[in-house]
Amino acid sequence: MLNSKNKKVSIILIIIAVVYLLASFRLPDYPYVPVDSDMVPKTLGFILLFLSILLFFVKDDAEKKQSIPKSEIKVILTVLAFVLIYILLFEIIGFVITTALFILITSWFLGYKGWVSNIIVSISIPLVIYLLFTQFLKVQLPAGILPF
Amino acid sequence: MGVFEGILTGFQVVFSLEGLLFVFLGALTGTLIGMIPGLGPITAIAVMIPITYGMNPAMALLLMAGVYYGAAYGGAASSILLNAPGESMSVPTTFDGYPLAKQGKAGKALAIAAIASFVGGTISVILLTLLTPVLAQLAISFGPTEYFALMLMGLVMVSSLADGSTIKALISATLGFMIATIGIDAQTGTQRFTMGNVNLLEGIDFLVIALGLFALAEVSNLIFERKQSTDFTSKLGSLRLNKEEVKEMAGPMGRQSILGFLIGVLPGAGGTIASFLAYISEKRLSKKPHEFGKGSVAGLAAPEAANNGASTGSFVPLLSLGIPGSGTTAVMLGALVVLGVQPGPLLMNEHPDVFWGVIASMYIGNVILLILNLPLIPYLSKILKIPRPMLISLIIVFCIIGVYGVGFRTFDLFLLVLFGVIGFFMAYLNFPAAPMLLAFILGGMMEQSLRQALTISNGSLLIFFEKPITVALLTVALISFVVPIFRNWRRKKEDKQTLSG
Repeated sequence: MLNSKNKKVSIILIIIAVVYLLASFRLPDYPYVPVDSDMVPKTLGFILLFLSILLFFVKDDAEKKQSIPKSEIKVILTVLAFVLIYILLFEIIGFVITTALFILITSWFLGYKGWVSNIIVSISIPLVIYLLFTQFLKVQLPAGILPF
Repeated sequence: MGVFEGILTGFQVVFSLEGLLFVFLGALTGTLIGMIPGLGPITAIAVMIPITYGMNPAMALLLMAGVYYGAAYGGAASSILLNAPGESMSVPTTFDGYPLAKQGKAGKALAIAAIASFVGGTISVILLTLLTPVLAQLAISFGPTEYFALMLMGLVMVSSLADGSTIKALISATLGFMIATIGIDAQTGTQRFTMGNVNLLEGIDFLVIALGLFALAEVSNLIFERKQSTDFTSKLGSLRLNKEEVKEMAGPMGRQSILGFLIGVLPGAGGTIASFLAYISEKRLSKKPHEFGKGSVAGLAAPEAANNGASTGSFVPLLSLGIPGSGTTAVMLGALVVLGVQPGPLLMNEHPDVFWGVIASMYIGNVILLILNLPLIPYLSKILKIPRPMLISLIIVFCIIGVYGVGFRTFDLFLLVLFGVIGFFMAYLNFPAAPMLLAFILGGMMEQSLRQALTISNGSLLIFFEKPITVALLTVALISFVVPIFRNWRRKKEDKQTLSG
């Protein structure tokens, strides 16, 4: 029954619509306005429900079959993991060091083999960005364990 | 203030040291980012936004507008040299641009593209200057019902004109609107869908969505294509055009600039439709249609003039009504609101420096871009040789800085990654992302005007049938919603008939 991509997506969207609708019906009342805060969400929930049911009966587009090779999925998941680690350490260790390590490791992992230029870029770019943002643009980036 | 005085005010803003510097910087960065295959104008603008925090709004918009039309110029270079268009609107540029480059006439092709872009940009700025104040004047009398109807129409048109399935585009738009309802409701103070998370009280910032859905999703495509060759001949050949070529370009450029502008003004249509339409119609009109696809001068000039015309045209609804008609102008609207400027019919009177400054900057920007693109193009095109792995990690870093600068919270960074994953799956399942971004940005405004209207009428929906403009706009919205679905249904029925017959 769920052999087509559209049908699977449609089921997920129907679940989202139902959960969203349930949450909209549980929104607290505010008695002093003619239109309360739950009106638009309820309408949106029903629209999504209606469109998702329509999608269930639409055939998959035949021409655009995309498939991603397994090795590429591994690559993208690894980069995703790098990004998550980068974010986790971003405030703790600080912008300059985490960014330098992130650029160095990710570029190397994706196939950039020139070590010398990779190290030069990884150190100089975070420093330039850091100075540009904190000194000229007055946007504070986390200093972390570095003293400046 | 008349148009003439207005444009003079605008030139005063632009012809300052700061103004010229930002137009130049914007045009240059836009060209460079636009050249990189896979990165579109939304990413180009969104990446630049953190730089504008704390800037004067007029200068910030000057910079972003420069990035926007710069990206339209830059998109031509990768289409011609690598046969790799940066986004769908530069696809027709490859049809004749790449064959020309293969014949050793890359320099000539780049020159044709730059000149056509310049003509398209300039003709449409003149039209924009004349049309925008008129529309703004008209829109001053608009009440909440007209605004609601206008935004609804824009949203439905963007969805029905998006690439691929209309139902999927409408689902995207609905989801975008739903995301906009997260946070404290401005009218009643009710917390909606925050799941008790303090970080969600103010809702999700548009930059998280723009950078996640577009920039990060585009990064994942860059990762898949990282091994693709980035080689092209460094010998571009002469940039010079002869008299016959100039003659052949003139007609198509003139016509398609105006047509492109008009298509750009309509919500939803934009550059892609303009450039494809330009290519097809010039092929029909041409005396030498057999040359199209093999390196025709007219075939290259037409779509370039049209997509630059459309890019400029899409500023008309943004500047006059405060309503973006495309994903790209939606990002610009979001950025302006952050800076405390609300575009709309009052913008012209309240912030004449912003309004006229942007318009004036487009005249200057096009001249700067022509200068940048003609003699400097061989040097600028070197950016195509940046190693892909390095480029990918740098773009991720820029996304992180941009989002962190909004609220200084790592929570936003995790949301950014979440929207990156969502954007990736949407691209994989052929759900267009632009309707989601546009609906997210329009969502708050639409809900506000809807509830204002219903407060006036004390809850009666009949207020939407009282004014002719509102009724007309709602009718257009309904037609553009029903027609594609009906067409889809009829096509299916015909398929069945042919199968059984």
